[in-house]
Amino acid sequence: MSLARLMATAWRQNLLVSVLVELTYRCNLDCFFCYNDLSLKGEPLSREQYFRFFDELRDLEVLHLALSGGEPLAHPDFLALGARARELGFVVRIKSNGHALRGELARRIRDEIDPFLVEVSLHGATAATHDRQTRVPGSFERLLANLAEVRALGLRVKLNSTLTAWNEGEIEAMFALADTLGLPLQVDPEVTPRDDGGREPLAVTPSRDGVLRLFRLQTERGRASDAIIPASARSADENVPVPTDKHCGAGSSGLAVDPFGNIYPCVQWRWPVGNLHSQSLRQIWQGAAGLAAVRELTTRAKGVVESHGPRGFLLNFCPGAAAAHTGDPLAVYPAALQRRELLEQVLAAEARRPLLPVVR
Amino acid sequence: MTDIHPSTVLRRRPDVRYRRIEGEAVVLRQSAAEVLVLNGVGADVLDLADGRRPVGEWIDVLAREYGADREVDRETVMRDVLDFAAEAAAAGLLEPVTAEDDG
Ligand SMILES: C[S@@+](CC[C@H](N)C(=O)[O-])C[C@H]1O[C@@H](n2cnc3c(N)ncnc32)[C@H](O)[C@@H]1O
Ligand code: SF4
Repeated sequence: MSLARLMATAWRQNLLVSVLVELTYRCNLDCFFCYNDLSLKGEPLSREQYFRFFDELRDLEVLHLALSGGEPLAHPDFLALGARARELGFVVRIKSNGHALRGELARRIRDEIDPFLVEVSLHGATAATHDRQTRVPGSFERLLANLAEVRALGLRVKLNSTLTAWNEGEIEAMFALADTLGLPLQVDPEVTPRDDGGREPLAVTPSRDGVLRLFRLQTERGRASDAIIPASARSADENVPVPTDKHCGAGSSGLAVDPFGNIYPCVQWRWPVGNLHSQSLRQIWQGAAGLAAVRELTTRAKGVVESHGPRGFLLNFCPGAAAAHTGDPLAVYPAALQRRELLEQVLAAEARRPLLPVVR
Repeated sequence: MTDIHPSTVLRRRPDVRYRRIEGEAVVLRQSAAEVLVLNGVGADVLDLADGRRPVGEWIDVLAREYGADREVDRETVMRDVLDFAAEAAAAGLLEPVTAEDDG
């Protein structure tokens, strides 16, 4: 069976596989477009509550645990929580801005947490752009130095970036920088509103031309990597459509938790379905009416995407982003429509291109 | 390649993480970027690879289970388990437990 089929089974049977934990909203950077809602109030979960929560995740056989924020490294118990996650056997990912990822802390992360992957955010290919977005002068130079250090330590690192109006002119240079550093770079083409619905981050929404250039570049680079993956290494049923009842795994194979114990179906979909201060995860997982409603909505979202035809998947529709943009998780928002249109354009150009022989 | 016999004792390597879904398993190794999907026999073997029971005992357990459920004979189970254990050891999912590990 392919991985896609197993994940579809997890969606159908509500098997929790991946959880993202926002440990704190404290942060040593101050990104202009950050989606975190810094006005959210509540009682932070204690170390003991996290330990109990992690035990519940283990009992539910969760595989992936991502530690995010805010800046997760800024949580006072970060190392203890990460080490506990490792001890319980999760595949641990750390999503960090990389600003504090150096020296003793970086070494202890490697030795005590041994993360599967550290995902670090890159905001530009130059100090001017990166620091403009993070609003911390010197953050770019420090990031480059830290990346060299953590690579030398043997930590596995990936770069993440969000395309914005400020960095879209440097996108080629960002990929080139990633190549020079020997790190993979994943670029998200969409700026989302703040978690409380605030639209200020949208001021740096990338231009249509910027998104198109990114898609062309990604296709180009994808084609290069396609050429070096032998067909025999791909699973036989990879291209067979996967029967599934839901559009995505929000609230069925995945969920997210904020620093105050609120549980959400996904990091993007900020509809609280319970709180760990008053309920156990098992109670929420099995009984929350909000979660049942979310699962029903992800089933209906599948119909919404299908109503856009066989290429509806190019919308890369996200009900969470839809809820943030419009208040309605089933509304196909303009950024998704633009994405489909631009991807169709790129794919059509691809189809016209003669296939080149692979030269090794 | 590790030679696997019914008396060999194997365990999951410490960096192996997996989740069973409908009898099969999604498997990751810390050191490798790829995600593997194992069939039922592979997933059962991962469950059994606790570093204490020799491979022969896995065969007993699975022959009983599959024999009752699916009428699979012991010879077939033995062949499948030995083949998979060898492949899994070569792929870095399982490792032999030596006398020093025990001591
Ligand atoms: C909120 S941060 C948390 C982890 C860590 N502080 C970091 O910056 O990587 C997670 C990721 O979301 C991205 N991000 C923040 N605000 C965003 C927004 N409004 N739209 C899209 N991506 C955003 C960040 O650049 C980062 O890659
Ligand atoms: S570093 Fe991450 S959490 Fe901090 S402000 Fe930037 S995006 Fe937000």
